[in-house]
Amino acid sequence: MLSTTLANLRAHLPRLVAATLAVVIAVAFVVATLVLNETSRATLLRAAGAEYVGTDVVVTAADGSSLAGAVGAVAAVPGVRAVDPTTAAEVQARFPGRSEAYLQAQAVAADPALRWQRVTDGALPDSPGEIAVATTTEAAVGDVVAVTVYDPATGEATSTGEATVTGLVDLGGDPSAGLFARGFAVADQVAAWGGTEPTELRVAGWNRTDPEALAAAVAPALGFAEVEVRTGEQAAEDAVAGITGNRLALAAVLLVFATVAVLVAGLVIANTLAVLVAQRTRDLALLRCVGATSRQVRRSVLTEAAVTGLVASAVGVGAGVGLAALVSALVGTDSPLPLEGVAVPLYAVGAGLAVGTLTTLLAALGPSRGATRVAPLAALRPVDAAPLRSRGGLLRFGAGLLLVLGGAALMALGVLTVNVYASLAGGTASFLGVVLLAQRAVPPVVAAAGRALGRVGGVPGRMAAGNASRNPRRTAATATALLIGVTLTTAMVVGAASTRATAQAGLDAAYPADVEIGAYGELPASLLPRLEDVDGVAGGTALLGVDVTAPDGQPLWVQGVDAAAATPVLRSTADLTLPAFGEAVLPQWAADSYGLRTGQTLTLQAGERSRALTVVVGDTGLGTPLLSTADLRALVPDATAATLWLRLDDGAGQRDAIEEVTELTGAAVPDAYVTGLASERAAIDSVLDALLLVVTGLLGVAVLIALIGVGNTLALSVVERRQENGLLRAMGLTRGQLRALLAWEAVLVAGVAAVLGVLLGGAYGLIGTASVLGGQDTVLLDVPWLQVGGIVVVATVAGLLASVLPARRAARTAPVAAIAAV
Amino acid sequence: MSVPVMTVPGEPPASVSSAAVRATGLTKVYGSGETAVHALAGVDVAFARGEFTAIMGPSGSGKSTLMHCLAGLDAATSGQVFLGGTELTRLRDDELTRLRRDRIGFVFQAFNLLPVLDARENVVLPMQLAGRRPDPAWFDAVVARLGLRERLRHRPSELSGGQQQRVAIARALLPRPDVVFADEPTGNLDSRSGAEVLDLLRSSVRETGQTVVMVTHDPTAASYADRVVLLADGRPAGEVDRPTAASVLEALRGLGG
Repeated sequence: MLSTTLANLRAHLPRLVAATLAVVIAVAFVVATLVLNETSRATLLRAAGAEYVGTDVVVTAADGSSLAGAVGAVAAVPGVRAVDPTTAAEVQARFPGRSEAYLQAQAVAADPALRWQRVTDGALPDSPGEIAVATTTEAAVGDVVAVTVYDPATGEATSTGEATVTGLVDLGGDPSAGLFARGFAVADQVAAWGGTEPTELRVAGWNRTDPEALAAAVAPALGFAEVEVRTGEQAAEDAVAGITGNRLALAAVLLVFATVAVLVAGLVIANTLAVLVAQRTRDLALLRCVGATSRQVRRSVLTEAAVTGLVASAVGVGAGVGLAALVSALVGTDSPLPLEGVAVPLYAVGAGLAVGTLTTLLAALGPSRGATRVAPLAALRPVDAAPLRSRGGLLRFGAGLLLVLGGAALMALGVLTVNVYASLAGGTASFLGVVLLAQRAVPPVVAAAGRALGRVGGVPGRMAAGNASRNPRRTAATATALLIGVTLTTAMVVGAASTRATAQAGLDAAYPADVEIGAYGELPASLLPRLEDVDGVAGGTALLGVDVTAPDGQPLWVQGVDAAAATPVLRSTADLTLPAFGEAVLPQWAADSYGLRTGQTLTLQAGERSRALTVVVGDTGLGTPLLSTADLRALVPDATAATLWLRLDDGAGQRDAIEEVTELTGAAVPDAYVTGLASERAAIDSVLDALLLVVTGLLGVAVLIALIGVGNTLALSVVERRQENGLLRAMGLTRGQLRALLAWEAVLVAGVAAVLGVLLGGAYGLIGTASVLGGQDTVLLDVPWLQVGGIVVVATVAGLLASVLPARRAARTAPVAAIAAV
Repeated sequence: MSVPVMTVPGEPPASVSSAAVRATGLTKVYGSGETAVHALAGVDVAFARGEFTAIMGPSGSGKSTLMHCLAGLDAATSGQVFLGGTELTRLRDDELTRLRRDRIGFVFQAFNLLPVLDARENVVLPMQLAGRRPDPAWFDAVVARLGLRERLRHRPSELSGGQQQRVAIARALLPRPDVVFADEPTGNLDSRSGAEVLDLLRSSVRETGQTVVMVTHDPTAASYADRVVLLADGRPAGEVDRPTAASVLEALRGLGG
């Protein structure tokens, strides 16, 4: 029987290759995810644990107390070659041509065996006054760094000095490398900069020392108990574990998408195998005729699936590792998720093989049951194309309905109570229900769409509609695979758009001005016109600032704004109260301190002048009371600008504009501060964009697999209907019409799946956003019509493309060959 | 065994005006070199308008291949086929396709109806493919003669074999083709349904002047025809005019088949 199975495999190889592409892609996805996870871990181990990897033993004070006194004792332990007490100083450093920034200076070990830094240029420092810095500081050897040490308690500068850069250190994928500058100086220099007491000792043994044995020897030499003695390798692992929390979450997210891909692949391959078995009804029946038992037939089908699955999985594992290597090379070490080389763990290979093979086997269970139902007599009579009615259909319908209704109720609860977990559970349940119901729901929709198509698509359209409804189960399964991908993609797109709109609105309200410029003294009147000329600045308004006398006789800093001029500059005035003429907007603290409420009168004085204003309690966005410019000038005619609000043009280039504004302002008023809220907004935007891109890409894999399914189903239909298509050709169907027939069929199935998926996904996206962000003041539900429409078009056009190859094969068939095959 | 009429290639034979379909020097070779099989080894044959002709011969005599070449379903290796004044052997695929749907009708052994379409849709399919509307009076007449009026809404799977074949005949007759080719039309039918089908084909020739060419290996079926053309080893092997089952049987024995 095995030889028959293998002969079958060989005979159907081309078709199986197409069918198993789905498995290959899904497995590649899973393996790439696992390999990248491991690679990232290995990279971090080398980077974050760099100082420990080459160290034999690490001694750490568990309670953070100084280990300075223990250095001698450890050094005296037999087998110890050198001991390096780890100390570090925190200073402010100013590199040439840049502003002052935080720098962490670590002591360089005296013994070369304990120097772990990878020097790319120059050398590590030998004496005080020298420093080696991380390559990420973008400094050059020979640069002189101005170092200021501040007292952490008072914040006052305690000493200043200079250090010459002697070398550059490559910190690789150290996750802290991008956050702040790091430098390395000799221990004396670090101590002079206020270095900490050592809480950690790194110990090197002589060559060929066994770290475990050395650790065991060092431990008793330390008198006090609050010390942890680990080998260097352990310490490195522990250091990485401290950072990997987020990374594990990322791996989990990736694996969720991988699961979706595997699920879709399973649907596709189950469908393909079912058709393959149906096509071979005669062969299988012949086997039964010559004495094969139904058990043997089933085993044959399952063996075929197992072999196919295993081969496809092996290819998938290779592709996955290749993909991971590619991603690793593209991402490199200079990113938030540093990657260096590829680490292929055995479990990734095993998991890939297991997932692919098991998915294929599971998918083959249904078709293999169908195969055993083939009666031996079927070999002797013409094949009956009538689809089988499923016994489990009613059960599935009930379960699907229950899941959809229950899930919908849970989601409603989730939206009303703003509980994302309820919505998530409801969404998952209802989506499972939808997948179960699809088998019943999709065929009528396809039939209805087909009737509409029949009116526009002519005869080929009408026949395509008939063909698409002919095998409802297969059509439903094909469409469902695509439906899953499209639904999830749309849900993400709509969810992200709504999140962005909501976050945007919240940001706009909280930070109404794109750029705010303030100063402790006055801002020259010429500054605003110059800033308004900067490329990318849309407009600006100046707020006047003066000290006036408050009702309690104390001086009060107030600002004046021209509401009419300011409104177009601001992104939002939702949370902001701007004063009209005769009004004074008081922040809550000012209203409280003067005992005033909205509607009461506030009298302000400036020298001889005084003015009575109507109080409005509200947020001014500045923390100071706000008057109208006219009222302020009435009090202080020569008031000058204290704050500038700028609005930037939308789109790219905001960062450049902010930089130029900062430069101009800094040159004019040295102590001015510039707050670029636009950059904050842009940061949120870019995070959402990147997230959306990644997620869409991941789900794109599922859609791709589903489209392979559409192509497969059509290819198999073409084979099944070889005779019928030949007949149509004999009756006068031109090749073009035959291609159109198949194209319409593909468009019908893909289009229905895309439209249903977009509707479902849109609903899920909106429900998800509402239940995550429902707590916010304003939740903006935003449907990006263009992108959603794009999804429908892309899925449908891709379905059309999937029909090209099968259609070509169908059109090549000579009419007589098809008829003669009877 | 009669000697085929010799013709000079390129010059039409004398009976050109009355012939609906004719072939000259037709050969069809499958494979090449030593393994080449000459399914047709030079056939000259003509079928008159309004005539019911049966092509007969033993298995492997090339009768089906001849019909496929005459109907433009298969390309001949050499020789010419004329449908009226049109030379089929010169047409490209799309021109052939259009010619088939406009001027040729088919009736197959296995009925070959489209399972997704009902009887009426199957009948009008070739005309729809051509974008033409059937003449309602003619449609009614065809449907009435074939006794399909009550069955028009049925799918093929809901029809008996005889009924399916009558649908196929209606499909072939509706566009009023120059010629109807029938390939073993009774092969899948019991003898009573078979006789019905043959009666219908003959009456369409008698009453409406339809030209019908039928391939069969059944002498009884051939006896319904006006003339029987015999084929052996890819060559014409004689004719029987006004055949009866007995005279056909005798002619076949003469072939040694």
